[in-house]
Amino acid sequence: MIEIKNVSKYFGGKRALDAVSLALPQGQIVGLFGENGAGKTTLIKCILGYLRFSGEITLDGAPISRKNIARLSFATSEHSFFPNLDATAHKEFYEQHFPQFSEKRFRGLMEFFELPKHKALRHFSTGQKNQFEVILSLCQGADYILMDEPFAGNDVFNREDFYKVLLGILEPSETVLLSTHLLEEVENFIGRAILIRRGKIVGDVSMLELEDSGKCLMDYVKETYHYKADRVSKALSELTDEQ
Amino acid sequence: MNHKKKLVHYAPPGVNLGQELGWFASGIGASLLYSLGFLFRYSREYQLLFLWDGTAKVLNTSAVMPNFVQVLGGSLDTFLVLALSMAAVAIYHYSYHYQGSKSIYLMRRLPDRWELPRRCLTLPLMGVLACLCVALLLLLIYYAVYMAFTPRACLAPYQWQKIWSVILGVGI
Repeated sequence: MIEIKNVSKYFGGKRALDAVSLALPQGQIVGLFGENGAGKTTLIKCILGYLRFSGEITLDGAPISRKNIARLSFATSEHSFFPNLDATAHKEFYEQHFPQFSEKRFRGLMEFFELPKHKALRHFSTGQKNQFEVILSLCQGADYILMDEPFAGNDVFNREDFYKVLLGILEPSETVLLSTHLLEEVENFIGRAILIRRGKIVGDVSMLELEDSGKCLMDYVKETYHYKADRVSKALSELTDEQ
Repeated sequence: MNHKKKLVHYAPPGVNLGQELGWFASGIGASLLYSLGFLFRYSREYQLLFLWDGTAKVLNTSAVMPNFVQVLGGSLDTFLVLALSMAAVAIYHYSYHYQGSKSIYLMRRLPDRWELPRRCLTLPLMGVLACLCVALLLLLIYYAVYMAFTPRACLAPYQWQKIWSVILGVGI
């Protein structure tokens, strides 16, 4: 289990995370939602140790370090592959550094998405790059797969395929933390939704709870964010009056 | 070819190693050519040790050959410049992980904490070592030339010690 206890992060004087506490048990697919700048990426980067923070983040009780970092993988819309290498060279690099790397899953996903094996990644389309980024994170053999807007730039069919494949291939012990804006798209795919706003966790709900209460994820988000449904019509009428 | 394959593991993944080695080899070549200036200076000083008696060349026994370090001058300085430029290569290797993607994220979460420094620093350090070795080899060769061809009568004493005094920055 990843436990995040009282984690705060400041950039200069600006607070990016404010005493965030969370637990991510194994075997969940968790959606992390929030506006731009809410702190989603910062939280993920803190978990991975890319950013210094105050508070504590542990993996099965131990701080996340080089000893257990292989249990976490990361897919980011910024991409973390080597643009000048091809897919096969990436596979070899991962196999060398992550002994749990699943060659079988890699082969299967590469074939499913029809990605070229001997073409440098820099020549891939944005969609293909995203797919490859996610493939690497899924094949590393990690227990916790952290994804930060992994599908930015992919078309809707592509994304839907991915959700289906994900659901099909994930082992019960694998956890996915998926940071995205695509609320409605991932609604049927995740088991838990975490809402973050201005660096604070403002909502944490299981999809079963939501289902029991008869709400959809979008309703829950709007409710939690105190979304004013009439704000668009008000703004439009004010603008029209002015004109 | 085999060596290049091995070196790939000591460079950032996907970096154009052939080009880097090519630039380095060019740098060594250029430094080597520049260092040949020693031979021209030596030859000029050597000629000054002789007087012309009609058509015969006679050694001027009262002439003194300038010290080896003076004749050498800055002939090997380009090796120092090349060695210092390896710092820029190390910086380039690190910044390479921000080019076209953020592969630094992957490098920073590898279980082997030395993988990133190894891939950024090994080749520049090898470059520095190669520069120092070639410069030292040339120093010895030029010193041997100086000692072998300079007439004993014109040779100032303590040449080897004078080299060390320059290197260590102390007077003898």
